[in-house]
Amino acid sequence: MSLSYAMKESLAGFKRAKLSAIISIVTITISLLLLGIFAVVTIHTSRFIDTLRNKVEMEAFLQEPLSRQELATLKKRVAAIDGVKEIVYVSKEEAAKIFKDEFGEDISNVLDFNPLPASFKIFLNEGHKTASKAHNVNKRLLSLKGIESIKYRKELLELIDTRTATVHNLTLSLGLFISLSAIFLVSNTIRLAIYAKRQLIRTMELVGATPGFIRYPFLLEGIMQGFLGGIIATCILFLLLEYATPLLSVQFSEFIHMEPLFYLIVIIAGVFLGLVGSLISVARFIGIVTRS
Amino acid sequence: MITLSNVTMTFGNHPVLDDIFLQIKPGEFVFLVGQTGAGKSTLLRLMYMDILPTEGIVSVGKYSSSNIEKREKPYLRRTLGIVFQDYRLMEDRNVFDNVAFTLHVTGEKSKHIKKKVLHALGDIGLAHQRNKMAHELSGGEQQRVVIARALVNSPLFLLADEPTGNLDPGTSHEILQLLRDINTRGTAVIMATHNYDLVRRTNERIVQVKNGKVYDVVMK
Repeated sequence: MSLSYAMKESLAGFKRAKLSAIISIVTITISLLLLGIFAVVTIHTSRFIDTLRNKVEMEAFLQEPLSRQELATLKKRVAAIDGVKEIVYVSKEEAAKIFKDEFGEDISNVLDFNPLPASFKIFLNEGHKTASKAHNVNKRLLSLKGIESIKYRKELLELIDTRTATVHNLTLSLGLFISLSAIFLVSNTIRLAIYAKRQLIRTMELVGATPGFIRYPFLLEGIMQGFLGGIIATCILFLLLEYATPLLSVQFSEFIHMEPLFYLIVIIAGVFLGLVGSLISVARFIGIVTRS
Repeated sequence: MITLSNVTMTFGNHPVLDDIFLQIKPGEFVFLVGQTGAGKSTLLRLMYMDILPTEGIVSVGKYSSSNIEKREKPYLRRTLGIVFQDYRLMEDRNVFDNVAFTLHVTGEKSKHIKKKVLHALGDIGLAHQRNKMAHELSGGEQQRVVIARALVNSPLFLLADEPTGNLDPGTSHEILQLLRDINTRGTAVIMATHNYDLVRRTNERIVQVKNGKVYDVVMK
C-alpha cells in the first residue's frame, strides 16, 4: 500500500468518525496530562533532593603544623581520592575570618590565640553524594597523614538516602501504573472506535485486503490522534506551569520550571500512546473478525 | 477450477455438509439452490476459505484448503469476486470509492484505478451515480455496485450469495441478467439462491444442496 493512500484513508477515517476520533484524542490528552503532571512532580522532587545533596560538603581539619610542601602533597593525595571533585584550602586566618563573619566576634579577642585549625573544604562528585560513598571518602581521608578529623552531615545524607529510595520506589510504581493505565485506556477507547468499523474491516478482508493493508490506516489514525492529544496536553501543561502556578505561590512558581525538551517528550509520548493503543486494538480486532 | 473433494463441514455437533464432491469449471454459470440453512452459504464460504472444511479438500485455482496459509487468503480472494445478499458496501464512502477500494487493495496504480472503476460502473449502468453515498442508492443499485466491486479486479469466479434475496422480482431478474452478461464475458458465476422462480426454465447448471449433500438437478 502506498503511504499516500494510507494517509488519505486515515485522514478520511478521522473525518468519517469525528466523535470517536475526538473521544480518542480527549482520552490521550487526559492520559498525557496525568503522566505530564506526574513527571513534573517527580522531576521537581528529584531536583529538590539534589539541591539538598549539593549542600553537603566535607570539611577535613588539618594537623598542625604542616609545611607548605606537606600541605601541597596532602592536597594532591586528597584530590586523588575517588569521588573528590574540588578542594578549597581554608587557612587558620581565613577560618578566623569566617568565624567573625558568622558570629560577629573576633576569636583572638575571646582567646589569646587562634584555635581554629586550617582545613580543606571538599566537594564531592555527583554520584558520591550518598551516605555510603561519603563514608568511603571519609575513611580514605582519615587514613591520610596530616588530617586530624572530618566533619560532614552524615545523618542528613542517610536521611536523604532513605527518603530517596522510598520516593524512587513510589514514583517508579506510580509511573508504571499511570503508564499502563494510559495505554489500557487509550487502547480500549481506540478499540471501541475500531469495533464500530467491524463490518468495514470484514468487507476489506473479503475483497482481499491483507491485514497490513487494513492495519496501516488505523495505525496512522492512532498516530495522528496521539499527536493531536500530545499538542493539546502540551499546551495545557505549559499554561498550568507558566501561568497557573504563580497564582498559587510566587516562590513555588519560581522553583517550577520545565525545559522545552519536556514538552517535546509529551508530544512524542502522545504519538507513542496513539500508536501502541491502535496497534494493540487492531491486532486484537482483526483476529476477532477473522474468527467470527 | 474450483473443486470440493470429500468435503464434510460441521459446526460444533451440527453437520452441514457431508462428504460432498463438487467441481466448477472456468466460465460456468452455476446456481446453488436449496432451502434456507441447507448449506449454500457454507459452500461459498468454503470456496473463499472464510472457513476450512472439517474433512476433505477445497481447491480454488492454485490454492488448497489443505495447506493454505493465513497470509495467502487475501491473494486467493483477489482471484474471486464476492457478492452478498446484504451488499456490505462501505457506508462511509461513495460508490466510486467502494469500487476503487478493491483495486487499492491489489496495489493498482492510481492512474489505472479511475479508468477501471468507471469502466466497471459503466458495465452495470451506474457511472452517473459514482459520487453518491451507498445509502443514497436503491437496493438494486447497491447490489449492482457490489457486483461492480466484485468485477473490477477481473476475477475468474464470481461468488454471489443470495444476491437477489433483498430485491423485488423485477430487480432480481435485472441482477440475474447482469450476472449472465458477466458470465458470457468469461467469468464463472456461482450464485446461491433459494428463489426457485429465478432458476425455472434456465439452461444453466443447477446444483441442489439438500440434507448435507449436493445434487446436479434439471428443472422441469
